[in-house]
Amino acid sequence: MAKEPARVLVTGAAGQIGYALVPMIARGIMLGADQPVILHLLDIPPAAEALNGVKMELVDAAFPLLKGVVATTDVVEACTGVNIAVMVGGFPRKEGMERKDVMTKNVSIYRSQASALEKHAAPNCKVLVVANPANTNALILKEFAPSIPEKNITCLTRLDHNRALGQVSERLNVQVSDVKNVIIWGNHSSSQYPDVNHATVKTPSGEKGVRELVADDAWLNGEFISIVQQRGAAIIKARKLSSALSAASSACDHIRDWVLGTPEGTWVSMGVYSDGSYDVPPGLIFSFPVTCQHGEWKIVQGLSIDEFSRKKLNATAEELSEEKALAYSCLS
Amino acid sequence: MAKNPVRVLVTGAAGQIGYAIVPMIARGVMLGPDQPVILHMLDIEPAAEALNGVKMELMDAAFPLLKGVVATTDAQEACKDVNIAVMVGGFPRKEGMERKDVMSKNVSIYKAQASALEKHAASDVKVLVVANPANTNALILKEYAPKIPEKNITCLTRLDHNRALGQISEKLNVHVGDVKNVIIWGNHSSTQYPDVNHATVTTSSGEKPVRELVANDQWLNTEFITTVQQRGAAIIKARKLSSALSAASSACDHIRDWVLGTPKGTWVSMGVYSDGSYGIQQGLIYSFPVTCDKGQWSIVQGLKIDDFSRGKLDATAKELIEEKTLAYSCLN
Repeated sequence: MAKEPARVLVTGAAGQIGYALVPMIARGIMLGADQPVILHLLDIPPAAEALNGVKMELVDAAFPLLKGVVATTDVVEACTGVNIAVMVGGFPRKEGMERKDVMTKNVSIYRSQASALEKHAAPNCKVLVVANPANTNALILKEFAPSIPEKNITCLTRLDHNRALGQVSERLNVQVSDVKNVIIWGNHSSSQYPDVNHATVKTPSGEKGVRELVADDAWLNGEFISIVQQRGAAIIKARKLSSALSAASSACDHIRDWVLGTPEGTWVSMGVYSDGSYDVPPGLIFSFPVTCQHGEWKIVQGLSIDEFSRKKLNATAEELSEEKALAYSCLS
Repeated sequence: MAKNPVRVLVTGAAGQIGYAIVPMIARGVMLGPDQPVILHMLDIEPAAEALNGVKMELMDAAFPLLKGVVATTDAQEACKDVNIAVMVGGFPRKEGMERKDVMSKNVSIYKAQASALEKHAASDVKVLVVANPANTNALILKEYAPKIPEKNITCLTRLDHNRALGQISEKLNVHVGDVKNVIIWGNHSSTQYPDVNHATVTTSSGEKPVRELVANDQWLNTEFITTVQQRGAAIIKARKLSSALSAASSACDHIRDWVLGTPKGTWVSMGVYSDGSYGIQQGLIYSFPVTCDKGQWSIVQGLKIDDFSRGKLDATAKELIEEKTLAYSCLN
């Protein structure tokens, strides 16, 4: 017997990431090949015609799993009954804008969307914030939607995690599916810390440590880190547009693993509400290594953190604390 | 034991449709979730940096099924050993251009690519032409790649087929997965004939004919036809860009059904080399209803064609003959 459809909201759905993401959701990449979906698409009134164009194309593609499309500029209608919310919409930084200006605009967007989600989404709605500054937007959303369980509000660092897997696989000339357990710590920004100290590669003679196989600590502690941190800028330079394809795909991975569980022996990176693990200040949305089971994530505990890593974790936590303070000052 | 990877070529890969289709291929939407793929992406020199950006994003997404990416501006390298070729690249019509100008440019593109494919692709390569004028580009490709079996050269009318299914499902307020066996006859242009005379809907009391359920021949013979014929323009009007998402998705459907077979009792529409069926002149690439089995398509025979339909089938054939003549005149 067919499953009941899941309602999935995508905000900013008329934009680039939305356009890449919605066919992935409609094909079952986010929730599995047997899970029917109803898409809720939200964007702002200036994008209403383009949004309707996206809805038309979803009808035109005749997706068997897609049981309905709600395309709207009304946030209440968009949020009603949704089980998953992927928040792609936000105010992008434009040339000449100060951080505080971007922060001010995004803080008010996420405050009002928090309210709508809290009132109208399905209970136990899982939220993924993609729009930058992702961690802080997620924190604002959390603060203004107190009846959404804090464990249900996350931000996307799976893109950085996947980028790190890709860089290691290229360096070692192995399949990316044979590399696992990198970690992205902290902020989805250039202060993120891509950590391979616990990452492994499947080889014909069993699982080997990445650090051992790469045998180049200078590269792993230097260039590798900055490549992953700055990959977004590299994509913009090549495409003249920011990464939509890989962001959309990683958002699907984040939700799929959260809902359907991570494979045995594998963890992933998610921006989640800090509980003080690894001496990261509680009350931030911070990216940690997590496993997922029965629809819940859990921070992987007990991983050794060397001195080099400790400094990196502290630096990205400090940046997040500053962003939090800036966000609150915008609200006052 | 894992299957050997299949090599899939996408030309025009740095463009909009390319950007939508490559993550679909990399996720197994085209060939199945257990079929590893190697993507070959071709574009022209001015798009080389953007093409490399797409390659970078494919790496960043860490797709488990994607076993390699060849991104190149060299047609020979692009075509080498490919098993599937999706020809998206072509010269778009710009404002002020005459049909003959567009035809001229595309005829020389498809002549050159035919040559490269014939020499370097796998001998049983399956070819899908998407770039417009799709049918005539496919015909040119066939003429200049005589070693490629004519049954292996097709063009995309699955988008129109899916659009027709979508329009019926909206009219009847049923799920699109319950509608089947529409037919798109002829040219992927505004002379195409969307035919519902043999289409059915799965209802709780069995399969019912679309014409009977819609009970509005006037609509089916006029507005329905023009809506499907002109849908491309409607998408452009809404999005200010042409349909990439639905074109990419439909291209995946076309290849998937061709390779893996159509479900029992269901046919699809494909632009294929005409063998004289239904009184259509041989030697055109013309869209017919087909079933697929063991990697081969075969035209559904014996369907009744009423007078109204006969007129439409002939009109679109006439346009294709004119296009063929125009194409040949450009080659001299």
